[in-house]
Amino acid sequence: MEYKCKDCRFYLPVDVFRGLCKMEKTTITPDNLSCKEFDRQPKCKFCTHYTAEKEFLGKCMGNKLASPDLNASKCVDFTWMQLN
Amino acid sequence: MENKSPSGSEATSYYGKKPSGTVENREQKSPASPRATAAKELYFETKSSVSIEFPYWYTRKWEELEGEIPMVRRGEALKAGFEHLTPVIYPGELLVMGKAAYLRGSYPMPWLSEAFFMAAEDKLYQEALESGKLTADTFTTLGKGGGNVTKSTGNVISLAGKFGVRVEELPVLLEVAKKWYGKSVDDVGHRYEQVVPGYSEKEALMRSVICMFDSGYTLPQGREVINFYYPLQYGIDGLIRICEEGISDTAGYPEMDRIYFYTGVIRMLEGIRSWIYNYSEEADFLASIEKDPKQKKEYLDIANRLSWLSTNPPRNFHEALQMVWIFHVAVLNEDAISGLSPGRLGQVLYPYWKRDMEKGIIDEAQTLELLECMRIKFTEIDCFASMGVVGGVLSGNTFNNLCVGGLKKDGTQAANELEMLILESGITCDTPQPTLSLLYDEKLPEEFLLKGVSCTKIGTGYPAWVNNQVAMEFLLNNYGHEGMQVEEARAWSIGGCLETSPGSWMPLNLDGEIHWIPGGSAPATSVGVHFLSLPKILEVVLFDGMDMRSGERIFPSHGFALNSYDELWQAFQTYFHRAVHVLTLTNNIQHDAWRKISPSLVNSMLKPDCLDKGRDIGQMGSRYNTTFNVESCGTANLVNSLASLKKNVYDQKNFSLKDYQAAILANFGYKTAQETGSYSLLDQVATEEYDKWKKIHKFSLDAPKFGNDDAYVDAVMAQWENWFCSMTHEFRSLYDQPLYACQISVSTHGPMGAVTLASADGRLSGTTFSDGSVSAYPGTDRNGPYALFESASCWNHSLSQNSQMNIKIHPSVVKGREGSRKFLELIRSYMRKGGFHVQFNIVDSRMLKQAQEDPDKFRSLLVRVAGFTQYWVELGKQIQDEVISRTEYEEL
Repeated sequence: MEYKCKDCRFYLPVDVFRGLCKMEKTTITPDNLSCKEFDRQPKCKFCTHYTAEKEFLGKCMGNKLASPDLNASKCVDFTWMQLN
Repeated sequence: MENKSPSGSEATSYYGKKPSGTVENREQKSPASPRATAAKELYFETKSSVSIEFPYWYTRKWEELEGEIPMVRRGEALKAGFEHLTPVIYPGELLVMGKAAYLRGSYPMPWLSEAFFMAAEDKLYQEALESGKLTADTFTTLGKGGGNVTKSTGNVISLAGKFGVRVEELPVLLEVAKKWYGKSVDDVGHRYEQVVPGYSEKEALMRSVICMFDSGYTLPQGREVINFYYPLQYGIDGLIRICEEGISDTAGYPEMDRIYFYTGVIRMLEGIRSWIYNYSEEADFLASIEKDPKQKKEYLDIANRLSWLSTNPPRNFHEALQMVWIFHVAVLNEDAISGLSPGRLGQVLYPYWKRDMEKGIIDEAQTLELLECMRIKFTEIDCFASMGVVGGVLSGNTFNNLCVGGLKKDGTQAANELEMLILESGITCDTPQPTLSLLYDEKLPEEFLLKGVSCTKIGTGYPAWVNNQVAMEFLLNNYGHEGMQVEEARAWSIGGCLETSPGSWMPLNLDGEIHWIPGGSAPATSVGVHFLSLPKILEVVLFDGMDMRSGERIFPSHGFALNSYDELWQAFQTYFHRAVHVLTLTNNIQHDAWRKISPSLVNSMLKPDCLDKGRDIGQMGSRYNTTFNVESCGTANLVNSLASLKKNVYDQKNFSLKDYQAAILANFGYKTAQETGSYSLLDQVATEEYDKWKKIHKFSLDAPKFGNDDAYVDAVMAQWENWFCSMTHEFRSLYDQPLYACQISVSTHGPMGAVTLASADGRLSGTTFSDGSVSAYPGTDRNGPYALFESASCWNHSLSQNSQMNIKIHPSVVKGREGSRKFLELIRSYMRKGGFHVQFNIVDSRMLKQAQEDPDKFRSLLVRVAGFTQYWVELGKQIQDEVISRTEYEEL
């Protein structure tokens, strides 16, 4: 899987166009490809309860609307999906 | 075609000698701290951004709790929203937390309204368009620069002409919005407002933009003063205990609705507690990866501060300021809100600051830096709303007004050293928010007033100068029947840009000593009939009920032959009365839907006496509830037009009314503003028909104009004001209280002018109206500021919630110490005449023209619009042109 900066725990969003790297304090865009320091941010798309349905939309636990890029770090049901 | 500008080719009119040579800069000022300067630079590079987190979790929880008591369901939904917000802390911040996970973050609240951000082809959008809800959007111009995301690009979609949303978040946003189809405040209110007899007239008023918007679902809260007493005194766990005791005391007894209110508040507070604690954890995490020891310590300090505040009351000034900020944002996160004002914050926080200063915990330099950081945080606030609201009303601002001065509970002057530093931070860190207002009273010390002048004259547009005694008189007149007395009237403050709002004195106990601190004690003091276009109503009178722009009939025939000025005036009164009648009834229903579907919990908990009564603000839990009003726009154009018709048609019989009707339809032989793209009178293009209308246009322009101490037109102004301020009391609000007059234009004079044909005062079709309510129409005040003051004070300003005056002065006029003295005397003379409010642009208008042509070079340029200060580049052209064309005073 190809990860982007917006998927990283060290990504600090400033606006919809750019953010800062919490480690390096450099300006980056959310769509930058990740670097070697990359650490996954809990997001719906990384959760075992998430099922993709169409582009940018899916279901949580089979019946609740969900979005793949939603930050799930404060979701009590979040469970890491195992990486292949 | 020759360019024949009606008043010459200059973009600006001048009183005194026109400036020559190089463009005059504003007076030099001290710089902000490096920390605030860096934060400001980051802000300048940041775009308004929308996050889906809060509405997603709010809606998810709301759906899960189908069948729950609405107040509890609301509390649970708010809790879910708060506890799932991603914490974001930016390097260098001393105050942290924000509305959403972006620096200028905001989010839609589809439970209020969802149609306006749907795709144009969506059924719901089309329905909203037909009902007139979105007409103002069509005629609003938004600023093209600054932080506005005006078009979609790459992975970012532009919403409402201002906000960017990530392409991967848009689908879920739209799905969430659709869940509120038929259930939002907007939709439910619309379903029931249609039962009001004569409802179709309301939609016609909206389509013609005689009325700008419904307050019930657009901005149901705001234009009020927040009250920080409860969290400062009790902390979050203390407040939860108060609610738990309230439940124990009332469960099973009559009026047991109180238990649902207390339960909802507890759930909401639990969410806020988690939200704060999540930030504390994030600060700890940042400290763990931080290499710079100074920054690391600051992150740890933030973590400790927030961990403490997540349950306890503040222990010092810094914590108190952080707590204030938390609850300010918390209120903003429960509703779409503009004009939530921190009020007299320097007096609220003074006991903490004084104690810290005495103990050596903080010094003046540290205080100033902290206050600068506070200014940056307030400036970051965005409100997600439709283009008509965010552009046509707010101009991208959110009107968080901080007041200084006024009187204490015991009637002595209230200014203090912390307020001096608040003014200083407004100088060093000149940002749009919080805007400042100085509550002028003769008892205030000269040094304090001169500090206010020092701030105003560097061109910030703040503090606005507001008359303390006039405001108190208004409050006692309108809230006396609810029990207000002089002592409590002194606790007032400005809510929003200029809404006089009632307050109360709260007994803050610090180390066993009671400090009486002021805070707001009423809900939104400016909801109801918003806004009414006075020149457009006169236009419809002249065409017997027709909107000639659209060809739609707005009112039935008024039945007057208009053979005399009295008949014209009566016809105007008839239509104005009809409009207020139907809009009051429909807005009452909209607000009833709001209080049932989306009742306030955060703001209700803060407002005295909701916690005591166990009732939210929608159930009159507040101490004061006379809070609905009728807002007007275009006063000077109405008055000047009436004076022109009175003189030219009825007194001197220079022209017939039919001549005027024809001249208005022909736009006096000029192209319209929409055709030229220019929205002030002073930069227009004549057509080949110009000569035919030249005479009547000249007579119209030469007719007496308000703002020149001219008894003829000032009598028209007095007649209008005395009637308007009185007739509003005939109407009753949702809370069965009388309405009152509110006279601020904000930015509505742009879009409302855009849909209005030429007017009998010589104004051309589509051009922006005069701002405020006692400002002169740009370029028509030719006798200097003191003549303007005479005209403005021809009526008693305490009859209205406000009156609003804008003056533009060249920087050279107020330069230096002598300039400051002269400036203060000018302000003082207006206050002594009973003027309620005056605000200033201290600027060389040529600089504004340069900024319009080359905005990138003027990113930080601030101007005063009408009750608020904004970055020039974030203003729409309708307002920019109007500000440029205002008369510039070269001498006082």
